[in-house]
Amino acid sequence: MKFMISTYATQADYDAMGGKAAADAEWTPEDFAAMGAFMESFNRELDESGELVETRGLDAPVHTRRIQLKAGLPVVTDGPYAETQEVLAGYWIVECASFDRATEIAARLSTIPGPESVQGRAYADVRPIVESRAELEG
Amino acid sequence: MTEPRLEDLLRPLAPQVLGALVRRYGHFDTAEDAVQEALIAAAAQWPADGIPANPKGWLVTVASRRLTDLLRSEQARRRREDEVTEQVLQSDRVASAADAAADYADDTLILLFMCAHPSLSQASQIALTLRALGGLTTAEVARALLVPEDTVTRRISRAKQTIKESGIGFRLPSKAERADRLAVVLHVLYLIFNEGYVSTAGPSLQRPDLAAEAIRLARMVHGLLLDDAEVAGLLALMLLTDARREARTGPGGELVPMGEQDRRRWDGVEIAAGIELVDGALDRGVAGPYLLQAAIAAVHDSSPSADMTDWARIERLYDQLALISDTPVVALNRVVAVAMARGATSGLELLATLEADRRIAEDHRFYAVRAHLLEMLGRADAARESYEAAATRTGNLAQQRYLRARAARI
Repeated sequence: MKFMISTYATQADYDAMGGKAAADAEWTPEDFAAMGAFMESFNRELDESGELVETRGLDAPVHTRRIQLKAGLPVVTDGPYAETQEVLAGYWIVECASFDRATEIAARLSTIPGPESVQGRAYADVRPIVESRAELEG
Repeated sequence: MTEPRLEDLLRPLAPQVLGALVRRYGHFDTAEDAVQEALIAAAAQWPADGIPANPKGWLVTVASRRLTDLLRSEQARRRREDEVTEQVLQSDRVASAADAAADYADDTLILLFMCAHPSLSQASQIALTLRALGGLTTAEVARALLVPEDTVTRRISRAKQTIKESGIGFRLPSKAERADRLAVVLHVLYLIFNEGYVSTAGPSLQRPDLAAEAIRLARMVHGLLLDDAEVAGLLALMLLTDARREARTGPGGELVPMGEQDRRRWDGVEIAAGIELVDGALDRGVAGPYLLQAAIAAVHDSSPSADMTDWARIERLYDQLALISDTPVVALNRVVAVAMARGATSGLELLATLEADRRIAEDHRFYAVRAHLLEMLGRADAARESYEAAATRTGNLAQQRYLRARAARI
């Protein structure tokens, strides 16, 4: 069965990762390199165990367009998120034996290297994926 | 000597970097500013730090970062001011993917169509094209056009506002619109060339060479649309005209008419390239106005002396041009060609038939041509009278002096 593991970040987190001085978190080039190395080996292991379906990271929240129907017309809003709002930053789709196994995988993400302040508030979510309409309605 | 080489590297990358940004992030207006800043940063840093291994990648990274910053502060300001940031998704932006994929061709071309959008003023089209496509800074555009920098800034921001408001998407115009839109693009390039070619005023050392820039852009468009005869024609026309540039002015900066130019000073390389383009394009069927003008220029440029000019061929080309391009200049040039090919009397007869057209009869060039033909026939008094009539109808002092000098010389 498939699960989605997702991580979250604010625009400020993206800025900080880009090397911009931030109020509570300073990413040094070493931090950033360590995170990259962690992600590479994390993904490689998942791939080798056959559990990785797909993983993607998303660009900064500022590059978001929101589309809503208003008065019957599709309306586009650029940059709908506030600077401090945590939004989806990346995800993994894994196929594994159980929710518990998926949770184990997600738990490893809590050891992502980075500034302490970021580690303190970072989190990952795990949710089962609904494979079909029948499953949803069933 | 490193500076011009850096420019040669940077400027062709400008539209590629802008295209990459707009494709990924949208926001043409802000992205264009971000690219401009990245280019300026490169010009400042590369001479000291060395040119990066992947110059385009460097520019895309720096411009993307800058775009993110600009968007953030823009969005923050809007939220602070509680400004509505919504726009209705226009139905023409909901195009089918298949249709878009077929013409996914080239960002540079899309940018050209955007900058030369018919809803922009001509002045804005020129300024925006020079900056977004040519990679010139605002200050350079201002110097090139001999206008204050503020004026260029205003023209560019107005153009971007118009583009934003009209919701012009980042895509090629539909097949149905393509020909008309391309004509506007070519006209903008032609105006840029003319601006560089005609005006001899201003501190030329400080002035980016607009004729060369127009040729560079036309070459780029030709590279993208090799089969288009009008694009080839425009590029050829520019090359064949630019080839005569050196010989065009005398030692005192005065204009030298083509018949009196020292042809040894013409640029043989440009002439050869122009003629090759004309020959290739003429083989492809019906010729448009740029190609016909280029073909006429090619006849002049390939003639060893003014006396040996094949005026009969020029006359035939003007006959064709007059059918598709009904302007006073074309009509009067055709009169000159007829006079040179068949004699001044034939020219005067044709000229008489144009008198009914008010646009032509009020133009000083009408009287200048008549004066010239009368002079050829030895009718001195009538010629002098016509030169004077021409001189009183032009506001240009240099032209007045030239015409009155001709009259005095008879």
